Amino acid sequence: MKKPLKPLSFTCFILLPSILLAHDVSTGDQAILDNGGLWSYIWVGAKHMLTGYDHLLFLAGVIFFIEGFKDILKFITVFTLGHSITLIGGTYAGINVNEYLIDAVIALSVLYKGFENLDGFQHLFKTKAPNLLVMVFGFGLIHGLGLSTRLQSFDMGQDQFLLKIISFNVGVELGQIAALIPIIIIISKWKEKPSYQAFYKASNVYLILAGMALFCYQLYLYFK
Amino acid sequence: MVLAALLAFVVLCSHDMFLKLDAYHLQPNSKAVLQLFNGTFEKSDNVIDRNRMLDVSLVGNGKRTAVDSSNWFEKNDITFLNFTTGNEGTWVAGLSTASRDIVLKADDFNAYLKSDGVLEVLENRKKTNTLNDDAVEKYAKHVKTIFQVGDKLSNDWSVNLGYPLEFMPLQNPYDLHPGHNLEVRLLYNGEPLINHFVYVGTDATAKKEETTHSHDGEAAHSHSHDNSEASEHQHPSTKQFKTNKEGIVSIEINTQGTWYLRTIKMIESADPKLTHESDWATLTFGIGAGHNADHSHDEVQEHEHGADTHTHDASTHTHEAHTDDGFPTYIFWMASIVVLGLLFFWFNRKT
Repeated sequence: MKKPLKPLSFTCFILLPSILLAHDVSTGDQAILDNGGLWSYIWVGAKHMLTGYDHLLFLAGVIFFIEGFKDILKFITVFTLGHSITLIGGTYAGINVNEYLIDAVIALSVLYKGFENLDGFQHLFKTKAPNLLVMVFGFGLIHGLGLSTRLQSFDMGQDQFLLKIISFNVGVELGQIAALIPIIIIISKWKEKPSYQAFYKASNVYLILAGMALFCYQLYLYFK
Repeated sequence: MVLAALLAFVVLCSHDMFLKLDAYHLQPNSKAVLQLFNGTFEKSDNVIDRNRMLDVSLVGNGKRTAVDSSNWFEKNDITFLNFTTGNEGTWVAGLSTASRDIVLKADDFNAYLKSDGVLEVLENRKKTNTLNDDAVEKYAKHVKTIFQVGDKLSNDWSVNLGYPLEFMPLQNPYDLHPGHNLEVRLLYNGEPLINHFVYVGTDATAKKEETTHSHDGEAAHSHSHDNSEASEHQHPSTKQFKTNKEGIVSIEINTQGTWYLRTIKMIESADPKLTHESDWATLTFGIGAGHNADHSHDEVQEHEHGADTHTHDASTHTHEAHTDDGFPTYIFWMASIVVLGLLFFWFNRKT
């Protein structure tokens, strides 16, 4: 039993900063936004991405599936494109969706990724999974709508409105890069270990469970 | 008590004056342009001569500064003023004109009283059976705009510029957002003007009006104040209010955008050369999504929101961040590590 302890403690070590960094996006952010100009929007955007576990879990699920830097770049670009469209467009146009319902759909995207990674479509429906690039783009649009809803919950004022949205989006991308680096390191390092298959299955079952739990939790908040 | 009329008030024109800005949230110490409209809120019909400007003031950072009239310039019937904003704070710009006289035929005068909402005077003409009397009116205009520089609020919004007729807000508009009420006191010669009609509009209603209003068969009259040419335009729809016994109107702010208040105080003149004397006042300001992060919107909030604004119930966002009402993120991550660890051991043992 000693062998798996090493990678597990490695995971804990990598995740530890995330735990310590895991501030909630709170009303305190409003004060930051009120006083800090465009930089504050970058900061709050990055913070939201780093502490937004649903976005990170989905990204982790995507990284599990793909191999090689080129593919990672391709999928992350598509995801970024998707969420930037709805984040910027949705906020600028003032499109408001219910935050609990959109977060519930985002939770389903986490569930979906875990299910797909475990070859759930083949096992359960005897069919091929939908094109991942298209799905990642589609889920990117949904994640962007969630980010937009969060951004719109702040009092942004009217001056430099578009620049504020773009700054928040830039922050989201920076936060995404910061979060992706440890995720990619963990997954690629673990691939070399004999325990990777167990890690792969455990992680993706966890994604399904986490997706279900978050989905139920958001619905609970919605109906509360 | 303030009486808020439910009906929109579509009026034919004379010339209201407004101080406006393209954006009401400005950066500190940056260049900006004030616009002086003479016409309606959305369209200026003519410019104002410098020598008519009795007072042009900028108030900010606790200081009132007289603006050099040579800084004004004209373009497309709008009078512009380039200025540089100062430090952060809520600022006020004001302009008061010298009076002028206008001679009006009885019908034109009656139509203007009706269309501009000077209803007390019209009522009095009916009562005294003087509807057929021509009028010689002396009028002056006093306009104010409140704008926000930077994010920090200051108390300059409450400045009394000492104009004969002046709107005095009782709250800082930049501390408000849709859902709040704004109270504004109307002062006439420094005293609250009670039981007086005030008309309130927004750029949203003005834009809507542009595409939807009709003249409803009313004949446009052709007199105008401050214009050498006849004009046939309409004011946009406004909401009619009446000041209470303290001279205050309470306005439900139900949308973001530019808001304006306008009123005319007219009296019969003691001057034998005149029949009436009037003072015209307007106030403009911008309403954003809101400024103050300290207030929250929960179930004990006193205000109600209009149908065209966001509401604060479970189906929409609140200003408290979503995660505030959930469990802390670190609990999620700790629980995740435990679950992930257990699953890992389970699958690792199986393989």
